[in-house]
Amino acid sequence: MLDLLKKYFRSRWPKRAGNHVIRTLETGGEWTVAPADGTGETAATVSDAPRSPSVDPFQQMLEQGRCALLLRPQIAENLDESQVRQAQEAFDTMASRTPAGPVILQGWRRGELEALNDARTGPCRVLVDELFLDRYAVTNGQFLAFVAAGGYAQETLWNPSAWQRVNEFVDRGDLPGPRGWHSGTFAEGEADHPVVGVCWYEADAYARWAGKRLPADAEWVKAASWPVVAEDGGLVERKYPWGDTPAPQKANLWNRAKRGTLPVADLPAGASAGGAIQLIGNVWEWTSSSLQIVSERGRVRLDRPLKIIRGGAYDTYFENQITCQFQSADSSFARRHNIGFRCAISACDIGGLLSVQREPGQALGESTVSQEISV
Amino acid sequence: MTKWGFQPIDTYERVEYASQTSCCVCDGGNRFDAEFCRHCRAPLALTLQTDPKKSPPQLVAVVGPPRVGKTVYLGMLTDILSRQQGALQVLARGAFSVSLQQQSMSALARRQFPPGTPVDPEGWNWVHFEVSNSPRRRPEQYVMPDISGEAFLQEVERGHGAPVIRAFLSKCSAALVLVDAEALEQGDQEPDFLAMKTVSYLVEMNRHRRKGWPARPVAIVFAKSDQSELCFDDPEEYARTHTPGLWRQCKERLSRHRFFSTSVIGACAPLHIRGEVTSMPLRIEPRGVEEPFIWIAKQLTK
Repeated sequence: MLDLLKKYFRSRWPKRAGNHVIRTLETGGEWTVAPADGTGETAATVSDAPRSPSVDPFQQMLEQGRCALLLRPQIAENLDESQVRQAQEAFDTMASRTPAGPVILQGWRRGELEALNDARTGPCRVLVDELFLDRYAVTNGQFLAFVAAGGYAQETLWNPSAWQRVNEFVDRGDLPGPRGWHSGTFAEGEADHPVVGVCWYEADAYARWAGKRLPADAEWVKAASWPVVAEDGGLVERKYPWGDTPAPQKANLWNRAKRGTLPVADLPAGASAGGAIQLIGNVWEWTSSSLQIVSERGRVRLDRPLKIIRGGAYDTYFENQITCQFQSADSSFARRHNIGFRCAISACDIGGLLSVQREPGQALGESTVSQEISV
Repeated sequence: MTKWGFQPIDTYERVEYASQTSCCVCDGGNRFDAEFCRHCRAPLALTLQTDPKKSPPQLVAVVGPPRVGKTVYLGMLTDILSRQQGALQVLARGAFSVSLQQQSMSALARRQFPPGTPVDPEGWNWVHFEVSNSPRRRPEQYVMPDISGEAFLQEVERGHGAPVIRAFLSKCSAALVLVDAEALEQGDQEPDFLAMKTVSYLVEMNRHRRKGWPARPVAIVFAKSDQSELCFDDPEEYARTHTPGLWRQCKERLSRHRFFSTSVIGACAPLHIRGEVTSMPLRIEPRGVEEPFIWIAKQLTK
């Protein structure tokens, strides 16, 4: 596994491979690749030393839901055919494909920005590359695997600005974990409920550990609203993932008798065209994008940086705030009772193994680039 | 050119003028066709809608300093209670009762805060609704005005706010005292002092052990609590640690009180525009809005 890691790492950072260290972490017995100069650049972490000698690292990673990491070309080419097939099958059950194409992001409605007077409220058209978005939000059970693997102790997984405060990310028993947990674990019977009470940085660290990333705002909207190019070149988008009509029975929203989160696989009737479940309702979802409000005189200064969240939650009150286009935000350090996340990975990052059509000249491992065009 | 003449007054009008309409807030007499009470400026529509002799309405005060969120809270409370199909059914009485709900909800849905309540009582919104707990019991009527924070502070600190405030508070059966938890979280002690003043003012107004404020239900509600999970987990403990003065006042002077936490706005974005800071609600997620009112309703039916 160590050789495999080195190979993967050298292919990803060919020019700087010599400056990196590979070390084992005491917690969880994992291999971690980190820049020797401590710059905190994205690193790879792969379990290599299983806790029990009978556990195969490959199986362990599959069980942890880290098949995206196994399917990265640099690692996958070292796996045998059956292992790749296993990883692919696991990935197929977890991820929904969103094709490349344009999406329209509606601006904030004019009435909402009355205070700004001159704010730009028009829509903008964004081109999104092909990606795989998780079918389900990350569950408590999945996040427990991250905590148990020492995710909160691995500096390389964390954004440098969050690492300074990582010891604040504790549960009610002062152990590392989501805010609502008790003594390092979640409430009984909630293993398949979405993990909440995690800030943006915790979500980001988990995604990195799983070999994925958080979806960008436009990617999330593209997956939910599933735009189709009409004959006249315009885009037809869905208001809700299931269509244009509000259907309270298809999402976990305010009007449900019992208020709280539901298991992530519930309410399949509300799935998006791509098969992602509960994009609307249950919990808000962190995206990788920052909130920016632009006026004619330039960008409006926010008091603190805010990250965009999407989708609405079980306690979102107004119907106009639970559409695919409704954008909200919160502080990147906020650990709310109703904000969770789901991960994404660009098709180009695992492309070759999933028979994804790539544009000629597009290299493996190239990150998604979205292009913003004013309409 | 003005022409003078005699217009006979109809008999029914003479009768109406002869019998005065008694204001349901201050008991002052008024002409039958007056819009507001000439003594306290409360709307007389309330008196006409309720029959004080038959079933006097429960007057409940929602008080607190300016910008603590009284209008948002009251608007959201009436909206939630009138929408839900649960055990507590609420029906608005009169079009003016819906005005507060309408104004608050329209503003919040557009991600704006409703405009502040004017100091002049004639500009206040009064909510009058019927609450039915069970199909077998007769519905209870509640009157809850959206009292201006500025006027209330003037009354508490200097005793010369709007007369309607004193008249209403002396007659009302219960109160919700709103405390700014967001300011407390930022280390500001002002909300503690203001709430202490409020409790002290209420108790001094009527110190009777059985009929006065010491025996009336008072809900201390930490508003804008979304920033602190402790506040939601254990409001009493939060009060003990964050508002020790208020906590002690309540323990010593109010026999029927309870601490609650509430929030309506999920998150706010403070925007710096042309040198001014404007707060914009980013989403609406009511939490703990009904509980204080349900507790008060239960206390009043005991």
